[in-house]
Amino acid sequence: MNEYDEKREDLINALMDGELSATDAELLKVEASDDRELARAIIEAYQLQLEMDAIRVERAPDSLRKRLRAIPREHRPAPVFSLLQPRWAMALAAIPLVVIVVSLMQPDTPSASEVARARQEMAIAFAYLDKAGAITGREIESSVGHTMADAVTDSVNRVIKSQNLNSKEKEA
Amino acid sequence: MKRLLMNKFVIGLFCTLLALPALAQEDELKNLAGYVDFGDLSATYGEPKITINLGGTMLNFVGMMSSSESPETSEMISKLKGIRVQIFSIEENTDAARDQFSETKSHLKSSGWEPIVQVNEDDEQVLVYMKAIDGNMEGMTVMVVDEEEAVFVNVIGQLNPAELAQVMDKFDVNVDLDMD
Repeated sequence: MNEYDEKREDLINALMDGELSATDAELLKVEASDDRELARAIIEAYQLQLEMDAIRVERAPDSLRKRLRAIPREHRPAPVFSLLQPRWAMALAAIPLVVIVVSLMQPDTPSASEVARARQEMAIAFAYLDKAGAITGREIESSVGHTMADAVTDSVNRVIKSQNLNSKEKEA
Repeated sequence: MKRLLMNKFVIGLFCTLLALPALAQEDELKNLAGYVDFGDLSATYGEPKITINLGGTMLNFVGMMSSSESPETSEMISKLKGIRVQIFSIEENTDAARDQFSETKSHLKSSGWEPIVQVNEDDEQVLVYMKAIDGNMEGMTVMVVDEEEAVFVNVIGQLNPAELAQVMDKFDVNVDLDMD
């Protein structure tokens, strides 16, 4: 390809790309009307452009596109810590839950009113124990008489007390 | 898949941690030798008119609060690990309560509890049981069933009735008990 041919090809390419000025395009047209070879080259270039435009660009399958997109990521060094990663996001979300649960597990110091209520409840429990003691004392008394009732009650108390003393001795 | 497993793990962990305090509180008393299961009478009599569940922690606080005004009371409370009371209003429908009474009595006998006092009247039954292991008192159980109410009291720890009578005067509590 000589210099003339190269120049002519550049002009044809420029014409096809729409980069040629109107004056140069008119000059090329005039020249082509006298030069059959130039005219054929312009027609061939035009036909080639039409054929190129007619070619449909096919879309790659999604799986292939995904893999292709992943390639740069695979070559990138993995970040050591990123709060946007799902595992770290979940870990961060779990922290308040763990704090709440741990705080629930801690033995709370009861308020004065709660302790007063507990004391009241304990007194009620003791009152019912006392009631049971009174009933049994009354039954014993009605069965065996006052003197024997005291003896039986004292005996029961001694049995229970001896258990407590035994415990104290072991603790000591 | 990994994310799904992680989600399941976090949810499972959360549920487990959430259930722990409730389980721990319940087990605090249930695991003690002096604990007695009274069964459930609420199906027959509805909710108990009085339910008391005091664990060792709360009793410690009560003991500490009582130490300045009554060292004897504080000393007595310090030996207790728990107090449980259930009182049902039975209004002359005593059958279920007496059945529960018998069932608990059998359970106590088979669990090493010793009967201390037993009153068997037509209109009134009283049982006092005590449990001791190696000479140490672990608990006391008192059950009373009369025409009006069924009372179940379980004291876990050491309690001397003689001391109880002494400290009762210290409590400024009005309890309306039918002593007829």
